[in-house]
Amino acid sequence: MIFGLTFPETAVIGLLFAAIQFGAMIYLASLGEMIAERAGVLNLGVEGMMAMGAVGGFVFAIETGSPWLGLLAAAVIGGAVAMIHGLFAVVLGANQVVSGLALTIFGVGLANFWGTDYEGVRPEVQFVDVDWGPLSDISWIGRILFQQSPLAYLAVLLGFVTWFVLNRTRGGLALRAAGESAATADAAGHSVLGLRLFAVAIGGAFAGIGGAYLSLSISPGWTVGVVAGRGWIAVALVIFGAWKVRRVALGAFLFGLAMALPNRTESFDLPWDPILWSMLPYVLTIAVMIAGALVLRNRPPAAPAALGLPFRREER
Amino acid sequence: MIRPVLVRREVPVRGGQPLAFAVGLLVALLLGAVLLLVAGDSPMEVYRRMLSASFGDLEAFSVTLNRAIPLALAGLAVAIAATMGLWNIGAEGQILFGATTAAGIAQIGEGWSGPVLILAMIVGGSIGGALWALGPAAAKAYIGVNEIITTLMLNEIAIRLIRYLINGPWKDPEGYGFVQAPALPEQSFLPNLFQRTHVGLLIAIAVLAVIGLMVSRSSWGYELRVAGSSGATATYAGISLKRKILTVLVLSGTVAGLAGGIELTGNATRLTETVSNGYGFAGIIVAALALMRPSGVAAVAVLFGAVQVGGQSIKAIGVSDAVSTVLQALILFGVIAAGVLIVYRIEMAEPAGHKARSTSRVRSA
Repeated sequence: MIFGLTFPETAVIGLLFAAIQFGAMIYLASLGEMIAERAGVLNLGVEGMMAMGAVGGFVFAIETGSPWLGLLAAAVIGGAVAMIHGLFAVVLGANQVVSGLALTIFGVGLANFWGTDYEGVRPEVQFVDVDWGPLSDISWIGRILFQQSPLAYLAVLLGFVTWFVLNRTRGGLALRAAGESAATADAAGHSVLGLRLFAVAIGGAFAGIGGAYLSLSISPGWTVGVVAGRGWIAVALVIFGAWKVRRVALGAFLFGLAMALPNRTESFDLPWDPILWSMLPYVLTIAVMIAGALVLRNRPPAAPAALGLPFRREER
Repeated sequence: MIRPVLVRREVPVRGGQPLAFAVGLLVALLLGAVLLLVAGDSPMEVYRRMLSASFGDLEAFSVTLNRAIPLALAGLAVAIAATMGLWNIGAEGQILFGATTAAGIAQIGEGWSGPVLILAMIVGGSIGGALWALGPAAAKAYIGVNEIITTLMLNEIAIRLIRYLINGPWKDPEGYGFVQAPALPEQSFLPNLFQRTHVGLLIAIAVLAVIGLMVSRSSWGYELRVAGSSGATATYAGISLKRKILTVLVLSGTVAGLAGGIELTGNATRLTETVSNGYGFAGIIVAALALMRPSGVAAVAVLFGAVQVGGQSIKAIGVSDAVSTVLQALILFGVIAAGVLIVYRIEMAEPAGHKARSTSRVRSA
């Protein structure tokens, strides 16, 4: 017992397992948003793109019988929906906040419309947790780290790829340049519009995969409101992570923990109603934002310098 | 490679925003029709029903107006904040907490007379909304915390607060096991003005007029607009940005909370999680379509009220009411695109370095 709380072994293992599960899901969406923002495009449509990925992934998995084809569809749909934001915010130079919010409302609405006939359909197709053989048999670690959905490992892999591409390749440099100083990137011969559209599309694909993680792995099936504001947490996580892959990953685990705990208050004998605990991820987000602002008060901002600014070469 | 570029028109297309609005609306309806066709529904039948349910006769129109009230107030809340370049994405939560406060007052004042109770609930709702916005306002003003995220998170928290109250402390003892808040006392219902439209319409019009005039005519509103266009200029002119941010966001929350109080006294019979019904989010679209001007908010709110009432009506023929949500977003997209094309035209440009001709023309514009 610590601080009068009990920590039964199975409950702790279950909590950490779920923390990684939720964390990996939110990590995917956050990575995508981070890529778009590093290129200078704020996309507040994550919630809508995740909803579309969730419903699209589920529908395609059911119709094709393969969760992997469902996942592929979710990525393509996420990317395609993101291109609406690309058209308005990047090509037409409309206000990124307005366009992103409209994308969320559109995506959530369309997902609900599309999902009407699939609500309550039995999730006969879903991802099966990976069996890593002897690794999965290790006590504690085996269950927590090596019996996850394949999507958790995909999230880790995509994290490394994102870090490598952004920081170690010429393309990544160009993409970051588009987010720091679009005019400079343009003068260096890069197409700012092209780079930004690419980043937005990849961001949408990642969000779509995050949505499919929900509908094909965490809580298989489609119900209205399955994303439940997690897309917004993904946006907050990018700020928390200071636009860096490593810190976003750390934050994702922290928020995964906060998302996993409310369902398990009974096994830990926690006081208060579980509904109050379900506020935790959102309260934590606010707390973290305030703490971050206090700590970083006198430091230069970590945000890409050209974030949110449309670029029209003809009006430079 | 020849590629399309946007070139600023020397003279924007005549008709401006109203034209953009009409074109955008038309495009949205067309895209919505495509969606309905793909889903196997008849767009004509759906649109005809939506129209008759929202504008068909005086009673239908009175329902539409009822919906327009919270939409206009939520739109106004977003627009006030946006005048200063701030994003209150938390109108939804402020409406919910405003309604919660009003419901709390209804429990205390069960024995009060109608007018006293209604007034207390509506004022209480406004104060609730102000309180719900106070945290993000102070955090933004004093330590620069992004208000988009904080106001958003408070939406999720407000929903769960109501869920908690309904399941626990406020659970209706006479609910026969149903998880619900107790019914509101009958004297707390706002009287009707005509048909189904309640008196909240007058309150909404008055608030829109007063705040609209404050923003466009008073020195306070002038400072607000200066601060919105350039923080540095405002500071130089001696305007305290911190206090402005604080007051504007709290005022924005007050207006949203007022909508919550009016919804509860005007349309609800008890406090529910869905008392706001997405008005806070729709309010963002309403404000954006009104170009963040309080004067335009009312007209857009009536249109959106109609789309929402129409959306409810098509459930009867087995079409999901999510159609109306999609339509609202499509209208915004359509109007944004049309708005851009009123100021810009699309031209096919030569590759970079060969376009001195078009560059010089842009400069002269």
